Amino acid sequence: MTISWFQAAILGLFACLASMPGLGGTSIGNYTLGRPLIGGLVCGLILGDVATGVLVGIAMQVVYIALVTPGGTVSADVRAVSYIGIPLAMVALKSYGLDASSAEGAALATSFGTMVGTLGTVLFYGTATMNLVWQHIGWTAVEKGDYHKLYAVDMILPWISHICFSFIPTLLMCHMGADVVEIIKTSLPMDGLAMKTLFTVGSLLPCVGIAILLKQIAQKPIDFVPYLFGFTLAASMHINLVSATVVAAMFALINYNIKMLSFKRTASAGADDDDEEDI
Amino acid sequence: MAKKLSAKTLSKAFHSWYYGNLTCFTQEHMQTFGYLCSMLPIVEELYDNKEDQARSMHTYTAFFNTEPQIGAVVVGITAGLEEARANGEEVDDESINGLRAGLMGPLAGIGDSLVVGTVIPILLGIAMGLSAGGSPVGCIFYIVAWNLFAYFGMRLLFYKGYELGGKAVDFLVGEQGVALRESVTLLGGMVIGAVSATWVSVTTSFKLYNEAGEAYLVLQDKFNDVFPGMLTAIFVIACWYLMAKKNMSPIKVMLLLVVVAFVGVLVGFFNPGLSY
Repeated sequence: MTISWFQAAILGLFACLASMPGLGGTSIGNYTLGRPLIGGLVCGLILGDVATGVLVGIAMQVVYIALVTPGGTVSADVRAVSYIGIPLAMVALKSYGLDASSAEGAALATSFGTMVGTLGTVLFYGTATMNLVWQHIGWTAVEKGDYHKLYAVDMILPWISHICFSFIPTLLMCHMGADVVEIIKTSLPMDGLAMKTLFTVGSLLPCVGIAILLKQIAQKPIDFVPYLFGFTLAASMHINLVSATVVAAMFALINYNIKMLSFKRTASAGADDDDEEDI
Repeated sequence: MAKKLSAKTLSKAFHSWYYGNLTCFTQEHMQTFGYLCSMLPIVEELYDNKEDQARSMHTYTAFFNTEPQIGAVVVGITAGLEEARANGEEVDDESINGLRAGLMGPLAGIGDSLVVGTVIPILLGIAMGLSAGGSPVGCIFYIVAWNLFAYFGMRLLFYKGYELGGKAVDFLVGEQGVALRESVTLLGGMVIGAVSATWVSVTTSFKLYNEAGEAYLVLQDKFNDVFPGMLTAIFVIACWYLMAKKNMSPIKVMLLLVVVAFVGVLVGFFNPGLSY
């Protein structure tokens, strides 16, 4: 499987739209096109194998399920994960003859994608730095009272940053990547230590993604109970994800009603004897 | 006659924010230019002379950054304040920027944990379930569900901010908001548990053999007898411990896992069992 210049160019265009800070806007760009699951569908459509694309997308999505960028700090770049990592992982799977739905296939895809995603942070800082030039033009326009230039500064000029840091890197990496995958394949045998480690890392990495998310929810051991409850639903009781969400929603509803009741009680108690208790 | 922003102008301001909040991002001025673009139609409609326009636009040159979906409420509030200022009410730069600076931190916290940290992962979790086996159905579900939620949610927040001013924030930080947030977080925790049990699989290949060459201890089976998927849960909680309690960055934890994987493969704890 190879990626033609034309296919690589379309992937490059999606990289421009999908990145954070991308030109598809935050909701459509970063949070829709930038999610690896959706990137998997798009790459699958472009490369002509939707099923493999979606499966690779799912494998990558678990790692980046909680890609929060507080204060604009990134630990991985979504354009690199979704539009460089996923296409290369698809090429690698085809080249190794692995099925994307197997555990090994997912592990290989995860290792490839995560490596590319981490290196891709360079692209994020590149784009953000080049945008300084456009913002400088913007400040000059504000001083002169030429406010309509602001639209160009905010929405048009950043395309130049993206051509340099999203389009061209994606174009080159995707087009050349297939050859590199071939070199890796011949120099590193699959049953060797390096590849075994790579596959193992691939199966371990999603734990980091889940843990990043848990960091927001759990502060103390007791906070793990809901997490382990959901885990048990799926692992021990074999309930699928959609059904598990319904069960969880029921508990959330009960929790909401209890909370609202307790607020009402403290509110009425406070009105009676006018003492404010903190619970 | 009191000045009133037209529906067309408000819509233009909202859409400028919806699309352009982060398009010209830099580390120095993250969402400032998105904010300026959003306020421009409002300022132009409210003031006819250049001096007033310049003064009002200058107000919004101050640094701004928050979670952009929830942050729509702030843009709405300032649209309302600017309208009040144009009608001669006591609203100065400091009160507007004080409010903006005061809201962006707490709202970023709410938005990051609720929208990015909970709603998106829940939607993705369901979508991954629907897409298991490689079907595009889950992807389409996510595209539709998330974008409807984001667009109409932001729209609601923007217009509520404009109509209610500071009171709009009360809903987000008030009792109902707290109860809702806590419940959604609970939901998120459970869904993430199910997601990790379904899609993450850490297994060991460690076995002990007797003299006849039969495996008498298969460690993975022992783990599964105690709690199915136990090793996965242990690794997740270990990563959480390193990041939450030891303040390690995600990249460092990932590098540590590379070392763990390497050592694990060497001692025979991990073995993907592949060959050509």
